[in-house]
Amino acid sequence: MAGKGKIVSGYIAPHPPHLVYGENPPQNIPRSTGGWEVLRWAYDNCRAKIKAQKPDVILIHTPHWMTLVGHHITRVPRLKGLSVDPIFPHLFRYNFDTAIDCEMADAIYDEAIGEGLTARKMTNPNFRLDYGTIVTAHMLNPDWDIPIVSLSANNSPYYFSLGVGIEEMFKLGRATRRAIEKSGRRAVLAASNTLSHFHFDREPDPSLPEDMSKEHVFSHTNYLWDMRVLQLMREGRMDELLKVLPEFIDATSAEVKSGGLFWMLAAMDFPTIPAKVHGYWSVIATGNAVVEWDLSDAAGNGHQEMRAHA
Amino acid sequence: MPDGQIVGGYIVPGLPHLVLPRDSTSRAELRNAFRTAGANARAARPDVLVIFSTQWISVLGHLVQTRPNPKGVHVDENWYDLGDLPYDFRTDLELARRTIELSNAAGLQVRPVDYEGFPVDTGMLVTLDFFDPKHELPVVGMSCNIYAGRDEELKLGKAVGDAVRALGRRAAVIACTGLSGHWFTKDIKDNEDRIVGDVDDAENRRMLDLIAQGKCATAMDAAPDYARKTGADMQFKAFYWLLGALGSETAKGKVLAYGPIWGSGAAVVEFAV
Repeated sequence: MAGKGKIVSGYIAPHPPHLVYGENPPQNIPRSTGGWEVLRWAYDNCRAKIKAQKPDVILIHTPHWMTLVGHHITRVPRLKGLSVDPIFPHLFRYNFDTAIDCEMADAIYDEAIGEGLTARKMTNPNFRLDYGTIVTAHMLNPDWDIPIVSLSANNSPYYFSLGVGIEEMFKLGRATRRAIEKSGRRAVLAASNTLSHFHFDREPDPSLPEDMSKEHVFSHTNYLWDMRVLQLMREGRMDELLKVLPEFIDATSAEVKSGGLFWMLAAMDFPTIPAKVHGYWSVIATGNAVVEWDLSDAAGNGHQEMRAHA
Repeated sequence: MPDGQIVGGYIVPGLPHLVLPRDSTSRAELRNAFRTAGANARAARPDVLVIFSTQWISVLGHLVQTRPNPKGVHVDENWYDLGDLPYDFRTDLELARRTIELSNAAGLQVRPVDYEGFPVDTGMLVTLDFFDPKHELPVVGMSCNIYAGRDEELKLGKAVGDAVRALGRRAAVIACTGLSGHWFTKDIKDNEDRIVGDVDDAENRRMLDLIAQGKCATAMDAAPDYARKTGADMQFKAFYWLLGALGSETAKGKVLAYGPIWGSGAAVVEFAV
């Protein structure tokens, strides 16, 4: 497959394991009585849309595969195993089994090297996928019938500075876009991030984690911040969004600091189309939104103009 | 039941370069010191190894392994190309549960984890490789809470010591932690390894000197500044835990080796008890 591939859509696709726990899929061992429905319904909308778009691959940038030396990319044909969340093992013990698009992984690696980035291919077949990748992949496509590629979060935003980290992610985004175009793939991108990230330091009721009467966003300040950035996304005000994100990260400890959103926006060439916010709610007090940028021709957004940010 | 006691206290590094690949000869001084520490610990005839690992990160309080027989294959998320770490060890359930009980009584949030497939961290497995290569000793493993400070870690360590004494165990207590946490962000060859910054090197040596002199209270006071300057592994909080377990702020630590692992600081330190 080669030729003019394209990104058909990009999603902010948060990964609290609570969402899988609330859904009770057969792959997950713990059982619940539900919970966090608004976010799960938001994902439901995306699932149907993704199926209709018939992508060849879903690319996921995950903050829970944190790497010290460069950007790592899964590159084994199949990964399978039991993933137990180290933070919420009582909620998430998931049997995963997924195809990896190795050609896509190779292409991203080559383009990343071409950008001057340090990158590595993860070729160990015993590697355990992180729960960020799994939750996002499951919530977007519970059938797991579309190959994925998982990209690690290089910790440059924490090790050096946010500015250095953003520059890295812009380069990785450009590299990803070129790799997709050259590969001929139709790709869905997923930035596996929450928004505001302050959380409870204790579960309100460990015996009933899905008790929604105990669930609320950490603070009104965090809520206002989340709404502010979501509104900018909804209105397609990309310049303002990019300008405000560092302040947002600083004020709310937003998980977007880990890079996925910057990567995805750069890969999509900083779209100024209105994003669709499918839903927002808190999970153990963090702010989570499922947000879609539809770049498909069907949506009339197939020809984003080149912009100057990257 | 005889009175329990701590028979040895150790600071050890937990990066996999010391055990993988199996035929590697790099970082020989650290490897040899680690082997010596393990042999000394076994010579003290412990019933159990208690390991606090900074690579087992927890967010909602601390976690304690209570799976009777954790086993599986671990692959490090950064250093997967070095090889796999298969494991199969026993947990001292009674000691683990008593530690949890005493920790909670002290006001900490400490929970058991008993799940098939729960990820065992690299630091724990590197430590076991040197301290119990024949898989003979039971283990109690506990996490590093990213939000905990000096007071909490001292309490958690004290709970370990109290549980050991209450149950009549002979325990070696091991803080698996790096020193300075800055590293090379590009690929290097093993023979290019060095402490990545002069400040890191100087501060590591200063911290180790305090420990060697038994000035552990001073070392604890200095730890926040040390951590700020060097990006120390989990703010060097494993040291607080170790002192809590040892029950002494004047214990002298003998530095068996000090050196770099991928630019970060690593030391093997043995405390007289």
